[in-house]
This record gives sequence, structure tokens and C-alpha cells, in this order.
Amino acid sequence: MKSLRRDLSANPQAENVTSKIFVRSTKSGKVQKIVRELYLRQDIPCSSKLCPICPSTAPVDANGNIAPFVLSDQPAGTKAFPRGHYLVPDTNALLNGMDLFEHTGAFYDVIILQTVLEELKNQSLPLYNRLLSLIKTDEKRFYLFFNEFRLETHVWRGPEESINDRNDRAVRTVARWYEDHLRGATRKGKKEKAVPAIVVITDDKDSIRKAKEENVTALSLSDYVSGLEDSDKLLDMITEARDARDVKGARGQLFYPEHYSMSKMMTGLRAGTLHQGVFSVSPYNYLEGSVNVAAFDKPLLILGRDNSNRSIAGDVVVVEVLPKDQWKSPSTKIVDEEAVTRNDNPDTEDNEVVVTEKERKALQEEVRRAHGSTGEGRPQPTARVVGIIKRNWRQYVGHVDSGSTGAQVTSGRRQQTVFVLPMDKKVPKIRVRTRQAADLLGQRILVTIDAWDRDSRYPTGHFLRSLGELETQGAETEALLLEYDVQYKPFPKVVLDCLPPEGHDWRVPASKENVGWKGRRDLRDLLICSIDPPGCQDIDDALHARQLPNGNFEVGVHIADVSHFVKPNNAMDLEASLRGTTVYLVDKRIDMLPKLLGTDLCSLKPYVERYAFSVLWEMTPNAEVVSADFTKSVIQSREAFSYEQAQLRIDDPSQNDDLTKSMRTLLHFSKILRQKRMDAGALNLASPEVRIETDNDEVGDPLTDVKTKAMLATNSLVEEFMLHANITVAAKIYSTFSQTALLRRHATPPPQNFEDLSNQLSKKRNMELDVSSSRALADSLDRCVDRKNPFFNTLVRILATRCMTSAEYFCAGAHAESEFRHYGLASPIYTHFTSPIRRYADLLVHRQLASAIGYEGEDGRAGLEGISTRSKLEDICRNINYRHRNAQFAGRASIEYYVGQALKARGEKMATTTGDTGIDEEGYVMRVFENGVVVFVPRFGIEGVVRLEDFVLPGEANIRAVEERRELAVHRETEFDSEEYTLLVREKGHADKQRAVTVELFQKVQVNVSSVKEEGRGAGKRRVRVLITGTEN
Amino acid sequence: MAAQRQASSASQTPHISPAELSYLYTSLSLPNAPIRPDGRSPTQFRPLTAETDVLPGTNGSARIGFADGTQAIVGVKAEVEKTASATDVRHLSEQHDEYGAGDGEQGEGDNSKAGQGSWVQMSIEIPGFRDDDALPVFLSEMMREPLVGSVADESGMEGGLKGRLVINKRWHWRLFIDVCLFLFKEIELGQVVLISFVMQVLLLSQPLSYPLPLLSLTTHLALLSTKLPKLKSQGEEDPFFDDDWDVAEYLYPRSRSARGVSQVRPPVTLLVISAGENIIFDPNREEIAVADAVLAISITRDSDGDGLKLLSIRTVDPPSRLTQPGVPNSDNVATLGSTAAAEEAEIVNPSTGEEEVSGVWRPRRGGVKRSTIAQMVKTVLKKGGVGEEVLEGLEGVEVG
Repeated sequence: MKSLRRDLSANPQAENVTSKIFVRSTKSGKVQKIVRELYLRQDIPCSSKLCPICPSTAPVDANGNIAPFVLSDQPAGTKAFPRGHYLVPDTNALLNGMDLFEHTGAFYDVIILQTVLEELKNQSLPLYNRLLSLIKTDEKRFYLFFNEFRLETHVWRGPEESINDRNDRAVRTVARWYEDHLRGATRKGKKEKAVPAIVVITDDKDSIRKAKEENVTALSLSDYVSGLEDSDKLLDMITEARDARDVKGARGQLFYPEHYSMSKMMTGLRAGTLHQGVFSVSPYNYLEGSVNVAAFDKPLLILGRDNSNRSIAGDVVVVEVLPKDQWKSPSTKIVDEEAVTRNDNPDTEDNEVVVTEKERKALQEEVRRAHGSTGEGRPQPTARVVGIIKRNWRQYVGHVDSGSTGAQVTSGRRQQTVFVLPMDKKVPKIRVRTRQAADLLGQRILVTIDAWDRDSRYPTGHFLRSLGELETQGAETEALLLEYDVQYKPFPKVVLDCLPPEGHDWRVPASKENVGWKGRRDLRDLLICSIDPPGCQDIDDALHARQLPNGNFEVGVHIADVSHFVKPNNAMDLEASLRGTTVYLVDKRIDMLPKLLGTDLCSLKPYVERYAFSVLWEMTPNAEVVSADFTKSVIQSREAFSYEQAQLRIDDPSQNDDLTKSMRTLLHFSKILRQKRMDAGALNLASPEVRIETDNDEVGDPLTDVKTKAMLATNSLVEEFMLHANITVAAKIYSTFSQTALLRRHATPPPQNFEDLSNQLSKKRNMELDVSSSRALADSLDRCVDRKNPFFNTLVRILATRCMTSAEYFCAGAHAESEFRHYGLASPIYTHFTSPIRRYADLLVHRQLASAIGYEGEDGRAGLEGISTRSKLEDICRNINYRHRNAQFAGRASIEYYVGQALKARGEKMATTTGDTGIDEEGYVMRVFENGVVVFVPRFGIEGVVRLEDFVLPGEANIRAVEERRELAVHRETEFDSEEYTLLVREKGHADKQRAVTVELFQKVQVNVSSVKEEGRGAGKRRVRVLITGTEN
Repeated sequence: MAAQRQASSASQTPHISPAELSYLYTSLSLPNAPIRPDGRSPTQFRPLTAETDVLPGTNGSARIGFADGTQAIVGVKAEVEKTASATDVRHLSEQHDEYGAGDGEQGEGDNSKAGQGSWVQMSIEIPGFRDDDALPVFLSEMMREPLVGSVADESGMEGGLKGRLVINKRWHWRLFIDVCLFLFKEIELGQVVLISFVMQVLLLSQPLSYPLPLLSLTTHLALLSTKLPKLKSQGEEDPFFDDDWDVAEYLYPRSRSARGVSQVRPPVTLLVISAGENIIFDPNREEIAVADAVLAISITRDSDGDGLKLLSIRTVDPPSRLTQPGVPNSDNVATLGSTAAAEEAEIVNPSTGEEEVSGVWRPRRGGVKRSTIAQMVKTVLKKGGVGEEVLEGLEGVEVG
């Protein structure tokens, strides 16, 4: 009887059919056996330019072209392989040395196997993505070889063979095949070319042994790298974790509790006994973290290293709530890792404990606090981390802790362990083994974390590269960009290829018959002008207003038509969607779109014709909107004003031309619109912003560049109309795309967010904060006025802003319509439409609006592509929200850095004459801790932590040096009243009020701001120091 | 036809005349030397071919075909399911901290090891029958019963099949055994793919014999080849499995001992009939049609692997009950004048107690002697008996 089993032996084609069987566990809990049939082929090319055979057999695309071959015909050689070589890494090699493979100095011509890629995907998604982008770049010549589909290189799993062994065998099989194939191919070609060596890179000793038996060249990663130039630097880039663990082996001291297994966590999460959330660390106390979980309104507190159990800020963790008797109150102390663990030695681990004695002391004090107090100090639900779902480790910028390099700095190239202090204070120091410790001192360096094992107090990582010397402009800017994940590399060629070929000579077509005019209205005769900050090159928006015959007014907002130049889904669009936004630093702008578009073709420059997307309203003289109209258009801006120029022109009674009149109309309307918005309950929020104008010459005081932002009526003119346009457009796209409209919302903050601030206000100033609605909040904020202290109101607004959630982009389908509300603007619906040059969201909204009004585009195909798939849009929203936030952080950090530098420059200048005495300013107390306060200095827009030693007590000698002041700290004691938010600092033994100073929340204080260099162990780091020199009441 | 089908579970009476029935019965009941229509000895099985793992997408599968073209394909699928009784999850997870703390809870742990019979689901598809017809339902229940009932306590399968399906207190496997039965006329085309089988099912006539033994043997093989993904999670955690199919574990675990590979085996069910004093195994359809009694005997290997164990005996309603009786010449109006008939010796049918006219078919009225049953069981269970022979035959089939 015929067997039913698929019998392949009788089939002549059989050897190219095989199957792959595995178990798939679905999210819904199903467990399935999956059988996939593989059809092996012989036309998958080796992709070596040496090979004369493969080009003739390789599969062709629709145009009859084969994919270009990747691997060089003259691959680089090394000492060991003088005739050149191709690399075939296995999965472990990539896991341990991905940074090496990305290095531009070596590792060219690499064959990545499909087997390896898939294995890597299972083990580490970030590394997988990095490898994919490596394969995509042309320069590094990485070739993805589909070995599992090629007949000769497919490997059947033997009986009792583990998957790992099978995959290792697959790697060796490919190496052998390549060697035979290339040798055969070059012989046939009769060109006597040297066949490059095929080198398998594997860290598996067993595999190396087998390779030797099978006559395949195989090397471990470190052996291979040792044979390269500059091997010291390269060796540092190999991931440390694996080997180190082997060495330590059974030495059983484990500092941290074990993480739960994944299935145990899942069980707990489903049962509701465990909770999942993102771990974040307090900026003032590195030992205190919190996790926001879905089950509770308030975040759960996580205190101490024991409880945070190797999680690092940003990780997705699983936590377990501790029993109530272990609950603690949030810290009232400023705890700095650098200060507390200054004396740790990175090499010795024997006497290491998770919680050092000092840390323990710090914790004990907190427990005492928690027990003895009520009110704000009430113990709060405290939890401990039991497992980590997803590590969000990235590359960290930091510098080598000079104290950790030990005595043998000068002893040459010996490998030693050092601590790297990340710039981000929320990240613990990282233990890095390096051979270049001496060179790295005083450098900004980039490191990554490889692992954090139970037997190590700090995470282990490895060195990636140096950004340059500390405090040099280039290094610090790059550090900022890296730290905030800003894509700053120049645009690749594929992106630039998407630009119009005419370049700067591109013009709006003269003939209206041209396709470019299709669906466009001719608005060139309107008196349109733009108003922007001085020196603005990327002009997104322009305005006009004119009276209509019926007495109403036509008001128009014209936005650069970026979507005309950036077509959906081409390389430029993808790049822009990745970048998400333009990032503005003090001295640099990182564009979202190539310069040609941003500053020329799209920019609504004056006197030239430009494509625009216009929103036109008909308004009554009372600014009631009669109708709104949207159209693609061609405009010609008459003038580009700065805010100041516009203001001057409006205020100048002698100017009575039509353009000025139109601007006056706009100003008039904007005031009405603003009033309406305020009446609806829009918040007037404040953020501590300063502007820095860098074009000043070098002679003057650098600090004069630092300016607080001035608000002119014309600022508000532009702002009001942009808001109005955004709201109008939001309503329009929502009516067309009820599920996929890209909108922006600002969630109503939960009242408990304001609890602290509201307590503080009622206690200290007897003021009420009504948070029942945005209107109520706006009104109560207006009432928070201290007549003696005009800045007080701004301070409260800054603090109130921090209590709110941040606004976010979202897809209309993701929330109920009632949740669309923009709290801060008091608008029921909102989006971003007016800055497509610098924000990707606006570009998408442009596409949606174009589709909503039936604009077909030049080719009549500008359809719904890419704007109507909700899942895709949600991905984009997530990314642009993230990019948007990071761009803000980067901008602020840049200003902060600049202020620090300006202070330093000033200090240096002063030092030559009078000695660095810093600069005296006004400051306001923002937060009070048990051992210090946070002071906000409006002049520079900075917040400074004032520690004990930085209080200048009455009658104290005029000491300014950092080291000397630090000595003072031990002689001081404090009285902290958490109920009244006051802190009394006095010298020990002096009970009298003579040698004491009391500060309280919201208090105005005299401060001295200077930039100081840390001495001693933390050497090489500079910080802005704030000294409290006096108080006034 | 339909009414008849509903009437009896075993009512596949072939269209045989009373005279033929009588002839058949007489030859089968010849004392000590029954003559079977196909010339087999009473204990001889029809030749069959068997193979396992015919359906790659299932957890386990097997096919057995008789030479007459009757075939059965069995596929076994397993699915993870939440145990209904585990309602209070919180209560459980409180317990699970103590999990593995000691043997104190062992008593309770044993309880949790007891699975439920309903976790094994069996469906049988026979061409020409709806799935809610009596025959498929009855057959599947008859086969399921010994499967979940047999409890081999020692050799690696605590609580038998039911116990094996328990993952932990809150989760278990549910087993779906799908049996497909059909007649396949061999097509000599060389390449036959499964799809053509399935299409043929629609055209096929009913199986030629009572299908129970065929189904049982096939199910036996399919279960033997069944594998479950290897569990990676521990204790009371939500189950989590290894994605490597090669490490999946057999549903019926195998252990290697000095004697070779020993294995817990699922039970088999044999069909035995009696005709007069004779006991006949693996009856074909005609033989069943005249049987005095039809018994389904389920056996399994004893836990020590040597002897056999009787699991259940089920009597099956003999289809002979429904056959048309023959009319003796003496009663026949057409042959009324013939006196020869009246002179024929009258024999009393031992099982019915009725008058038996030789050569005239009387439907059997059921009932079987105690001694006959005892004899049947003995023939099955004795060393070197039929049961052993069958099991050895099955063990000869390479599984996996």
C-alpha cells in the first residue's frame, strides 16, 4: 500500500524540498506545531564581485537587472590573511562585538547568514535592527546570504543535534561552500585572481575545534581583532559580560536577588499580583525610583538598590508591592551617586556589598523620617523590582571617573577596569574594562551597557568611542545629540536623490497650464507677509488680511507646501518620519528635511513665488468666523518681518500702506481671538526659557547673549492665527478621517498631580489652587500674585506646568472624542498644521487635509497612501512624540550648557583681574530638601541644587574655592520642617541665630552663580554652582 | 436505510439472504473448526499496513489500511486550556510561593494530578454518516472510555492519560483525536497526495466491516506517535513552551531500561464474536451479521510490561438480531405440500432456546454463555494469546 507520508526519496526534485518544524506560542495562549516547507534553490548568488558564475544565474527583477553584488573583489587583507578575506560571523560574535562590526576602521566584506540574522533577532531586537541597517549601507559591504534557501548550504538538523550545534554547523558549511565556490569560479574565469580567505568568527570554542577538523578557518573575535591595527581600541569594544562571568564562575557572592522567570512574571501580571511599568529615577536622589503602573493612580516608590534590583532608568520592569510595614516616604534628601560612592574601587569586588555603608545610612535616615512624620512625609506604597521585561539600554555618554583609574595610570597598555560616570545622573556608573584608561581621562566618551549580573554591584559595559575632550564645543554638542537620540548624521544620498533635480533653480511654473498648477489657486496678488524670529530661514507660515466688499474680512494663513516636495514613502519621507522634528540647539540646527527644501524651496521667502497650503477664513469685524476654506495655492510674500520689525511698522503711524493696514487688522483680530481663548479657559503657562543670541562679537561679556524671551504683541499675533488654523484644520481632517486623523491632545491632568503644589501654596501663601477645570486653574493661577515679588506668579506657573502631562500626537481612533481635548489651549480638538518644515506631524496633516479637500496632486495620485492606516500612523505618533520630547530636552540642555560655558568664560576673564567671584543674581526657592534646596535663577533659566556647604552663613569668611567649601559641610547641621517647607542651616555648636540661615519655599534669595571645576576625585567636570548669599523677606 | 441506521449502532447488515446467513452461521459454528469465508483461522487478523506520522501538521498521526481497502487515518492535536475549576487565581498564587516547599502538600498535589476524562475529545468521521449519528458517537465513546480509564500508575505516567494532560493546577492539555475512516481503492498512479483521499471520502461507500478494531489500532498508533511541546515554565506558572519541536516529549513517555525501550502504551480494543461455541477475532462484516454475540474487549499492557490487563468489555448489539428470518419449508405456503421438510431433524438453538431448523436462518436473539465470555477473555489475555500478538504487531510499527 502506498504510504501517505510525504516520501521524498522517490522524487527527483526531492532534495530541494525540506521542511522546518517548530512550536509557536501565540499571545492568546495557543501552542501550535508549525510545519513550513522549504523549497531550496540554486540561484541565490554569492554576491562576490570575484565570481563570474553567479551573475549569470542570479534572479532578476522585473527590469531584468540583478541585485548589485556586494562583496569586494579586492577585500582588505591582514597579517594573517594577506590575500584578503571575507568574514562570516556567527551569532555570538555579533552579540559580543556588534560595535566592532559597526566600526569604520575594520570589518569590511562581511557575509551575514540568514541563520545568524534570525538567531540574533530572537536574542536581541536592538542588535538585529543595527545589523539590518549595517546590511543596508553600501560602505561596509555586508551581504545577507540566504543560506537556508540555497541547496548547497542548507543544513539538515541531525538526530540529537541541538539547534545551536546545527546553526554553528550551518555557518561552517557556508564558509566551506564559499571557499569551494570562489575557488572553482575564479579558476573557470581563467583570471588568476587571489581567492580571499573565508574566516569564520565565532566565540564558541567547540565550533572552532570542529572548524579545524573540517578545514575551515575560524577565529575567536578577540583573536581576530588582535591581528588588526589599532587592536587596543578595538578590543575594548568587545562586550565584556560573557568572559567575565566564566572567569568568576562559582564565586558565589550574589548581590542582587534573582529575577523571576518570564513565565512567573506573566502569571503574576495576569493575576494582578505583579505590576508592569517603566522604571524612572528621581533626578535628586539616585537611590529613589518610581514606577507608574496601570493599576494605581500614583506611581509606586522604589527605594534603594536592593529593591530596584539592577533596573536602569527607562527599563520596562515588573514590580511587586512590599508589605505595608516596609512602605516608605519619598526622599527629602538630595543624594548624589558621585558623592556617596566616591571611594568605590572598580577592580575589587570582594568587599563589595550592594548597599554600601554610606548608602545604608542615607536610607536609614529616610526611614526615620517616614516614621516620625505625617502629611507629605507619609509612607507611600513601596515596591521592589522582581524582573525586567525589556531593557532599554542605549549608548551612554559619560566620562571616566578619574578616581577609579587607580595608581597604574601610567603603566601603559595593561587592561584595567574603570568607572564611567554617565552624563545622565539617573544612570548608575558603568564598569568598563579598557586598555586605554590613560588616554580616555578627560574625554567625553560613548559607552554601552552589556550586562548587569547578580554578582556585580554596577553594570558592566564597554567603550565605544571618544567624542573628544571634555567641554570642547564639538564633543559636548555631539554628546547632547547622542544623549537625546537625535539623528544628526548628514542626509544619505538616497534622501538627497529625492530632491527636485533643479535644485535652487526650482521655480513655480510660469505657465498655468503646467501640472504644478493643477488644483492650485492663484493667490499671488494678495498682500502676504511673514513674521518670524530674527534671522529665521525656514519660514513656515505667512499671513494676510483684507476687507471684503460685504464688510467682512478675509484672513488667510499660508503654510509652506512641504507635502508637494516630500512624497509619501520615498527615502526622504522615511528619513523625515524617523527624525520627526528639527532640533534647535544654541549653535546648531539639526534639520528634519534637507536644507534645499527647508531654507529655500519650501520656505515662504519674500519676493518669490512659492507653493503654499492656505487656510482662508471669512470673518466678521468681531472675528466671528463666517466660513473657512482650504486650498493649495501659489503665493508671493511681500515681506519677511522679524517680530520687532513688524511691531515697529504697526506702531509707526506714518506707515499707511495696504500691507501695514492688513497687519493692523491681523493684530486687531488676534487680540479678539486671544481674549476668546482666555475666556474659554486657556492656560497661560510658563517655562523657564531664555534665548541665546550667538552672533554677538566676542569682546563683550558673554553673559549678555543670554536673554530671557521677550513677548511682543506680534508674537502673539502669529501665535493666535496659527492656533486658529490648527484648530480649523483639526476639525476638517477629523470630519474626513474619523479613525486616522492625526491630532494632538493635552490630557486633563489628574487632580492628585497638583496635590503637592496646592499644599505648598496654601501653607506658605494661603493661596488656593482650583484644579477643577482649566478655566478654574487659569483663574486661580491669575490670583497667585505676590505684590512684593512679581516673579512669584511666573514661578507658580512654572511649577504648575510641571504638574501637567505633556501634550501628545495621537490617531483619532485611539481615543474617544471627549478625550481629544487640548487642556492647555482649552480647545476641544487640535492638531499641528503650521510648521511642516520642522515637524513631521504637520507634514502628515497636510497630506490628510489635501486628501480631505480632494486635491489630487500633480499626477492625480496623491491619494490616501500612508495616511489612512491606523497602525502605521500609531507607530509614527509614538516616534514623533518621542522625538518631540527629546528635541525639547536637547534644546534645554544645550542652553544650559551654553550658560555654563558663558559663566566659565566670564570667570576666566575675571580671574585675570579680580579673581572669579561669580555673578550675583536673584533666585527663588523651588524645592526644599532635608540637606539642601533647589533654586531657580530666572536670569539664566537654570535650576541649581544648593547643598549644605553652598549656604553662605552670616559672618562667615569669604571662601569660594570648591574644596574649601566642601570642608564646611561637615560642620553644618540642619533643621528641616517638612510641614512648613523650611530649612535652617547653621554651624554646629552655634545655637544662636547669628551663624544660621533659614530658607523657605518660594522665597526670593540672593545667589551667586559661577561655574566651578570639581577638584580631586571628580576632576575634570565642571558644574554651575549656586551659592545662597542672602535672603530677604 | 436511514431508519435502519438509527436503529442500531451495529446495524450494518449487508444484504445477504436468509439462506446465505444460515450457511455462513453454520460454517462459522462448526465445532472446533470454524470455516471463515476468507479462510482465516479464528484468531487470525486480516493483513494490514500501518504507518505513523502521516500528517505533519498534527501532534501525532497514524494510518492503518486493511487489504480490502478500508482505511483509517487518525490525527491527534493538543491545545493548552485553562482548567475550569481553578477559579481563584489569587488563592493559588499565594500558595505558589510555598510551592516546592515540602512534601506536606503532597496530598493536595496528588489531587491536582487527576485530570478529567473530558479533556480527551474524539470525533469519528465515517462516510455516509453524520457526526451526530449513533454509530460515530457510540464508537468514539467506546474508544475514549478505555483511553481515559486506563491508569498505569508506575512507569512514568502518573494518573494515566488524564494525569499526563495536567500541566499544573490551572492549566491542562486538551486532546483532540480525529478519526477518519474510509474505503480506499488503490489507485496505481504512483503519486497520490492526501487531497485526493479527502475527495474520495465523499464518494465512498460504507466501510466493509465493523470499524472498531481498525479505529482502535490506528488511534493506538497515533497516540504513540503524539508529542507535546516541552514545558519550560515551572510549577504553577502560566505554561510556556520550548519552541524546538525536536525536544517535544511523547505523550506516552518512553523510558530506556535494560530490556530496551519500554513504554507505556495506550489501550487497544479488539472485536470478538461468537458463533456457537467458536470464538472468532477480527470478524468481517458478513461474520458480524450472523454473530451470536459481539464483544469489544479493551486491553493494555500491564504496568510491569509483561502481562496483559483487561480494561473493559462491552457488548455490542449484534446485527444478526435485525436480519430477516428464513422460512422453513414446513411453514412455507409455497412448499406446503412438501413433506420432506417436516421430517427434518429439529435442533434446539443453544443460545435462543428456540427451535432450530437446520439450514433455515433464525435471527439471533442475543445472550451469550458465561463460559464463552470467559473463553474469549482467556484467548485474548493468555500468554502468547491474541492480545499479545496484536500488541507485538503494533509495537513492530516504527513510531516517530
